[in-house]
Amino acid sequence: MTMVRTLISRLAPLLACLGLLGIWQVAALVLNTDSFPTALEALRAVPSILGDKESLINIGASLRRMAIAFSVALVVSIPLGLMMGRSRLVASFFNPLLMITYPVPKAALMPIIMLWLGVGDIAKMLVIFLGVSLPVIYHSLQGAKAVEEKMLWSGAAMGLSAPQRMIRIVLPAALPEILTGCRTGLVLALITMVTSEMIARQSGAGNILFNSLDMGQYDTVYAMIIIIGAMGIGIDAAFEKLRARLVRWSEPGFDLPLSFA
Amino acid sequence: MNARGLTTDVLLGIVPIALAVALWQAISSFGYAPVTLLPPPGLVFARLAQQLLTGTFQQAIGVTLFRLFAGFSIAVVLGVGFGLAAAASPAVNAVVRPVVRVLAPLPKVALYPALLLLLGFGHESKITLVAADALFPILLSTYYGASMVEQKLIWSAMAAGTPRRQIMFKVVLPAAVPSILTGCRIGLVISCIVVFLAEMITSTEGLGHLLVTAARTFQAVDMFVPLITISLLGLILNGLLQGLRAWLLRGFPEV
Repeated sequence: MTMVRTLISRLAPLLACLGLLGIWQVAALVLNTDSFPTALEALRAVPSILGDKESLINIGASLRRMAIAFSVALVVSIPLGLMMGRSRLVASFFNPLLMITYPVPKAALMPIIMLWLGVGDIAKMLVIFLGVSLPVIYHSLQGAKAVEEKMLWSGAAMGLSAPQRMIRIVLPAALPEILTGCRTGLVLALITMVTSEMIARQSGAGNILFNSLDMGQYDTVYAMIIIIGAMGIGIDAAFEKLRARLVRWSEPGFDLPLSFA
Repeated sequence: MNARGLTTDVLLGIVPIALAVALWQAISSFGYAPVTLLPPPGLVFARLAQQLLTGTFQQAIGVTLFRLFAGFSIAVVLGVGFGLAAAASPAVNAVVRPVVRVLAPLPKVALYPALLLLLGFGHESKITLVAADALFPILLSTYYGASMVEQKLIWSAMAAGTPRRQIMFKVVLPAAVPSILTGCRIGLVISCIVVFLAEMITSTEGLGHLLVTAARTFQAVDMFVPLITISLLGLILNGLLQGLRAWLLRGFPEV
């Protein structure tokens, strides 16, 4: 009985995917317009995109930019967030600046950054970096703030220096919260990646998507939507697995993404 | 002591902002960047003040705000509704949970071309995109808030004779309000960002459109103005939501 139940809960997301595709199929058949192909037609166009070398290079370039920008953002944001969570001085120094920049659409900076850095990789990676940083900083801050004082006192009593306490007590204790932030950041990285490539049409998955929209190749548009959507779902699921493994000791149960912004 | 601490905090917080503006001013006034690429801050803010008084700019703000609110309201209604339903009923939960699991990490911007083709270039496609993006944080935080409600509260309400149908609105919903508002805050910021992006992609009006037009004609000053405006709008709306939160939660133990 329990095995059946776990099987069903494992398969549920898959069933949901199939259900959504089914709704799409029915809706397309009912509406029956040129600009809205059925799910099957769109799925049929997927292999031709994935088989095309040019598109593969484009998608690969997107993923590479995203990976680099995401890693750099983590390296910068996690220490900053932890320090903000532990030191009131650091927190009040950076807080207002972050508050002002929070509602700025990061991808909207693209046209301005393009003026300075050109349309190349650096401009796009900078935009992704900015988009990822804020949620990671915020969640690291929350995690570091919630660390029990007593643990830090015991660490200090046992002769750990302040930087050692940071790495050996605060970082692991805040890890579940940090990883929540990373998950949010990952989704945002994907969103910013697509938008930045849409604005600077030079290479990448977003470029294929919006160029085919402009050229009226609707099959390609919907196939690209499926591919990008699958990328999002796949990356999220993979990260969730990694997260569950890393923080097995913390309370389980958050199998849904808690927030993403 | 407390007030003094607060003033130091504020002063300390102004430092990096002042430094950023000073750096901006220095770069443009020492000629490291030509005015066409990086206009000095004075020029940008003067332009902002001047634009705020013109009718066309106010109209653009109005259009953007309308789309933002329409999308955000739809997201709040659907998010709170589905969130509560999923927390209350196992049957709804069994359907909503996997669907959310699939749809939440999907980058919604990628759906925008499909929305454009289906709903046209007007308000509808933008409002739908805003609603789709703001929906999930609100739905999830409602769900968590409602499922974390202490069972004892529900039991006591039932023991006091509250009918089952009313427990939802008299116990669960109020207890979940802090969490719902946190979700709304995230959703609001997302709405600001998304409405701007949608207007940048294809639009004939709104703040995002102003940015794109300025970019096409290389008017750097006019590129900064809509960006600063949307940031200000975000801050103002966030402040209003904080005020609403303080008012709604005036009886709660911790805010």
